Amino acid sequence: MAQVKLNNVVKNYGNVKVVHGADLLIDDSEFIVLVGPSGCGKSTILRMIAGLETISGGEIVIGDQVVNRVSPKDRNVAMVFQNYALYPHMTVRENMAFGLKMAKEPRDIIEKKVNQAAATLELGPYLDRKPAALSGGQRQRVAMGRAIVRQPDVFLFDEPLSNLDAQLRTQMRMELKKLHLQFKTTTIYVTHDQIEAMTLADRIVILKDGYIQQVGSPIEVFERPANVFVAQFIGNPPMNIIKGKCTRVNGAMTLVAGDLSLQLPEDKYQDIAEGKSVLIGIRPDGIKVRDVEHRIREEWRKEATVNVAEILGGQSLLELNISNNRFIAEVEGRMKLHPGDKVTVGFELDRVVLFDPETTEAIA
Amino acid sequence: MREVSRDRIKAFLTLLPSIVLIGIFVYGFIGNTIWISLTDWGGVAALAEHPVKHFIGIQNYVDLFTGFLEGRFRQDMVNAVFYSVSLLAGAVGLGMFIAILLDRKPKGEDFLRTVFLYPMSLSFIVSGTIWRWMLAPQGGVNILPTYAGFKPLTFKWLSAKTTVLAFNWQNLLQIGLYLVAVITIIIGFIVYRNSRSKSVKWLAIGALSGLTAWIGGDMLPKALILEEIHGFNLATLGIIMATIWQYSGYTMALYLAGFNGISQDLHDAAMLDGASTSAYYTHIAIPMLKPITISAVIILSHISLKMFDLIFSMTGPDNAETGHPALNMYLTTFRANEFARGASIAIVLFLLAATFIIPYLITQYKQRRTR
Repeated sequence: MAQVKLNNVVKNYGNVKVVHGADLLIDDSEFIVLVGPSGCGKSTILRMIAGLETISGGEIVIGDQVVNRVSPKDRNVAMVFQNYALYPHMTVRENMAFGLKMAKEPRDIIEKKVNQAAATLELGPYLDRKPAALSGGQRQRVAMGRAIVRQPDVFLFDEPLSNLDAQLRTQMRMELKKLHLQFKTTTIYVTHDQIEAMTLADRIVILKDGYIQQVGSPIEVFERPANVFVAQFIGNPPMNIIKGKCTRVNGAMTLVAGDLSLQLPEDKYQDIAEGKSVLIGIRPDGIKVRDVEHRIREEWRKEATVNVAEILGGQSLLELNISNNRFIAEVEGRMKLHPGDKVTVGFELDRVVLFDPETTEAIA
Repeated sequence: MREVSRDRIKAFLTLLPSIVLIGIFVYGFIGNTIWISLTDWGGVAALAEHPVKHFIGIQNYVDLFTGFLEGRFRQDMVNAVFYSVSLLAGAVGLGMFIAILLDRKPKGEDFLRTVFLYPMSLSFIVSGTIWRWMLAPQGGVNILPTYAGFKPLTFKWLSAKTTVLAFNWQNLLQIGLYLVAVITIIIGFIVYRNSRSKSVKWLAIGALSGLTAWIGGDMLPKALILEEIHGFNLATLGIIMATIWQYSGYTMALYLAGFNGISQDLHDAAMLDGASTSAYYTHIAIPMLKPITISAVIILSHISLKMFDLIFSMTGPDNAETGHPALNMYLTTFRANEFARGASIAIVLFLLAATFIIPYLITQYKQRRTR
């Protein structure tokens, strides 16, 4: 187990810069998820930590050793790949034992460690099969087994669940979490799936175009996104962002967007400049439709017209027109609403986030 | 008529001409050659309009292996075995080595690949002639050291008289038993990991034949009445070199295509598992390319068994030291007009090639069935 430190890490491919000075401190036994759209540099960062890519600038420290020039095999890291990367000509047992064999561990210890890992991952009955005779989920387990047996300082996962079907993915996600709780190994996990990021991470790192956008706990990045990109990338459906202005109405700081005016809570955004243009961010689950009278202050209740209602089972998605602004609301239960229906909605305005329309950064 | 059966009829009709042609010109002629090899067609009246042929059973084959006058064929067979084994080891080994070097993506990889593959495109007659010049006693390879100030080499690449690994053909049975022993014991050890009981069976067969050969010794029946020494003629070294030169580029291309087909992730995984570059090739890449190795071995063993033109152009058809069964077949059939004897040599070669190909086809077929 070890701490991992990225100091101003840069990666260039020729003249193209794909990682722009990433700084990150990953604590011992922390589970960090790197998330972002394709081409954001998340896999490149992971591969640089693994030693599979050279580092163009800055330094990477694992434990207390700068590893910029250390070869992958001497970094004591283990990696699970998206396509599993199992050795097809070897049995499950041989696949899991390969790293130990290369480390010249004695046979009986290899045997013991492989059997232990196989028991943890419920791979016992498959040890003598070749990867081709395994299902996707089993292969994934073998790939994890291969990483576990070596007892590395750091686990690296490169989109390990994206080749699995939805049901299996949920199941494996849980198991991954359990494994981390059991082994407490520092883990760096790359994904483009924000649900994986939210459920697995101690802290999430959101990347875009090679820049780190925000680092924080899942709830932090969900509730207090650092900029519009994070607000829209994390959360499904994404955060509602509408253009508006801050003005004082009867002495209270109020958000105005078209015909909609919402009074800001007394403890938030009070020192904002009068008349400043802002982007108003409200999470879809911050718009309530049921029991609004009991849950939401009166000045945050508004009349809305339903454009579309989608029932998802446990909850419903509503597209609402509120004073000529379009909002998506994620509400509890099966709301049997039809286009044109009128409902009273309540905004949880204590959760509102304001962004600067020019920089798209969140306003403190 | 249903669509499927109509399709089948169309497919059958399309294939029919080639089935008929292959049936006649390949299998029919193989059958005819087998028949001829069982007769006594040959001698002075062999080219008569209606030559006299008598069925004599396998006498031709018996003569080839144990007949007093067929020592030349036996030497050719021994040459062919050493030639095949050296070519396989050389061309597969060198081709694999060059492929590994090129797989490391050196500068000018494309150019080098073409350079190494180029010899393949030459006709054997051309490369044979070039190599004959290069291996001439007072020229080419032998004078290379003089450029560095050393004495020239004196080795006679194509006409050396030395024989190494010599053995007495009289002891054919004993040698055969030793070979069986070595091979089965090796198989026994390979099988050991998967199945102990099978392994024990193989080892038992190996031990038994080894013991029989050892204890039996001089009491085993002799293949010949007189001592007849054969071995690895060093004069074939030049021919082996030329063939390796011509074919290692081909195996290189096979392996390079295989290496390129291995996913980068597998390489990365091996690196993270602590494998050095050489361990990556020995434990991962080369074992993964087993099908390519098998194909290369089959194709090359085939080529080496049929080799004719290269030897013809390098040392002529009737140089005893560098003889080859295919040349012998040609000389026996078309110079000596011993058609039946020639046919039996052809069938021996055919069966030898089949011993390489048939097991391969069977395993391929089984694999396809299990898929």
